[in-house]
Amino acid sequence: MGQLLQYILNGLAKGSIYSLIALGLVVIYRGTGHLNFAQGEMALFATFGAWWIHDHGVPLLFAITLAAALAFVGGGVIEFGLIRPAGKKSPFAVVVVTIGLFQALNSLSGLLFQGAGTGLPFGTLFPNKPNDFFRLPGDAIWRYENVGVLASVLAITGILFALFQKTKVGLAMRMVANNPDSAKLSGVSTTRILMLSWGISALIGAIGGALVAGINTNVNLATMFGVFLLASAAATLGGLDSPLGAVVGGLSLGVVESLVSNYPKDWWASSYVGADTSVAVAFLIILVVLLVRPAGLFGSSRVERV
Amino acid sequence: MPTAIKESSPPHWLARILAVAVLAALALYIASSAKPSTLGNITEACTLAVAAVALNLLLGFNGQISIGHSTFAGLAAFTAGYSVNFWRWNPYVSLAVGLVLCFVLGLALGLPALRLKGPYLALVTLAVAFVWPTIAAKFLDKKVKASTLKGTKLQPPTWTGLTNSRPDRAVFLYWLAVVILVLAYVIVRNLRKSRIGRALVAVRDNETAAAVMGVNLKFTKTVTFGISAAIAGASGWLTAARLDRLDENSFTILNSIKYLLALFLGGAATLAGPIVGAFVYYFVDDYLKTHAPTWHWLPGPISKGPVASFLLGTIVIIFVFIAPFGLVGFIKDQVRRVFVVTPRPLKQAVASPELIEHTSDATAAESSAQD
Repeated sequence: MGQLLQYILNGLAKGSIYSLIALGLVVIYRGTGHLNFAQGEMALFATFGAWWIHDHGVPLLFAITLAAALAFVGGGVIEFGLIRPAGKKSPFAVVVVTIGLFQALNSLSGLLFQGAGTGLPFGTLFPNKPNDFFRLPGDAIWRYENVGVLASVLAITGILFALFQKTKVGLAMRMVANNPDSAKLSGVSTTRILMLSWGISALIGAIGGALVAGINTNVNLATMFGVFLLASAAATLGGLDSPLGAVVGGLSLGVVESLVSNYPKDWWASSYVGADTSVAVAFLIILVVLLVRPAGLFGSSRVERV
Repeated sequence: MPTAIKESSPPHWLARILAVAVLAALALYIASSAKPSTLGNITEACTLAVAAVALNLLLGFNGQISIGHSTFAGLAAFTAGYSVNFWRWNPYVSLAVGLVLCFVLGLALGLPALRLKGPYLALVTLAVAFVWPTIAAKFLDKKVKASTLKGTKLQPPTWTGLTNSRPDRAVFLYWLAVVILVLAYVIVRNLRKSRIGRALVAVRDNETAAAVMGVNLKFTKTVTFGISAAIAGASGWLTAARLDRLDENSFTILNSIKYLLALFLGGAATLAGPIVGAFVYYFVDDYLKTHAPTWHWLPGPISKGPVASFLLGTIVIIFVFIAPFGLVGFIKDQVRRVFVVTPRPLKQAVASPELIEHTSDATAAESSAQD
């Protein structure tokens, strides 16, 4: 029992990062109906930015905050300068732009930050020495680092939900997501809301990237590939237009991944289920869920009209 | 005012024949005069072009986005490597079997595509591309992963007069790649110009309207996925034929992104686009990789970094704004200022005479209204 708890706790920490990046995807998808393939690489670039600022003698927490703030601005600029003009051409053009951004931002990180390919050391915000943990019943331990990551993600998620549900801006964002035309008619500046969505998405992406780099104690050009993949899977599982779905999807994906990785060696089919196939098993589960509910667990399906 | 040329009129045929003749002469000239390393580069560019052609059928004409095409290339490559090395199969049989496997996997992936729209489908294919290397790493041991069609396994047939020496082999692989590329192009072109092609485009432009018009959505989407996957498989087989070793990281998501960027560069939804795009992508990449490190005017360590992929990614973004249909679309627009090919008039024999009169009146009225 203690072991099971252990695996679940480990999975929750990883899953919380997936849900953070997934939230970024959802915020953009709700606003514009686009899938941002560059989400992971935007986060990567911001994380390298945080490393660079930290490298110049700024304490890590401030460096990450500053990088996240810059990412917020950068996200808005990308929306204003690239996504919006491309969106006026066709939805397909936006896909092309985000895929181009994926490659451009990844290689730009490689160009600007020497040693990015092999990896740069990245500090962690939370104590991560071998004996930094709480003891829980049943021999389970809860590492301070995992507690810290989970707590900060939950705090950020809480703030975002408060923003969506309790503020005027959040109301406007929900209006734009629900029906852009009537939002415009009621005097909401949809353009500003969309810039804000991209900014928020880039900001939480930057925090997510810094948390991943902190756990790995390293950031390199491939850091965000896997995280983005699992985050996008989490968003798909939860439903691309549901913030709650992103959080639930991310956390459950993290737990599933952790449980599958530690699948007992003497159980049925254990040669197919294990650490090296954990991602495959997780995706298989998602595929099954999607076949039953094509719009994800919490997503809303739309009615097509000709 | 551009000059109008009727479709399939003698001048149009002349232009077509001339174009084919020039391309064939170019292919022959390259085969006879280029160095083996250059031939190797062209072979690789053709390999990329085949994958881009496959993606164009799916994405350009049918509107289904796949980031999983590296998986199909990988499946065919490992199938060939395994069956030829461990079961002593004929390499061409391994190609055929690989294509069938890719077609089946493509159909299987096309099935969720029936229920999943736009971004959800993209994410599923993304997931497949991501999972593929882990599956390959798990189920293939080192020996299998490294095995390709190198050395004596894929020899030039005797009637070509080529031996298995390195230069001759390069010529042989070059022709193999060119033939596969031409076949892929012809398949996609003929599909596009047929009834099926019009159904594909109708599905892309408006799925619901296409269904109302009687297009079988399920059949069209899954079979397109399957055919596209099989063509991508041919590209993977070519990779296995050319390279000395493969491993699970030979076909990752980055390959899929490369196929996509090559397609966008040349122009999605144009027939020649993926081929032009792949060649431009490959040779720009190749040139920058060798020359950028010597550009000392670049500040700091930048010239040592991935200059090529940054530039190519940026160019693709810029193209969205200045040339949305890629290089080929851009060239077509320029040519259209000088020559316009007018389509063949439709056959009107099926309708009754009054109806034809009525329709032509209506068209005349419509065109005068537009003026």
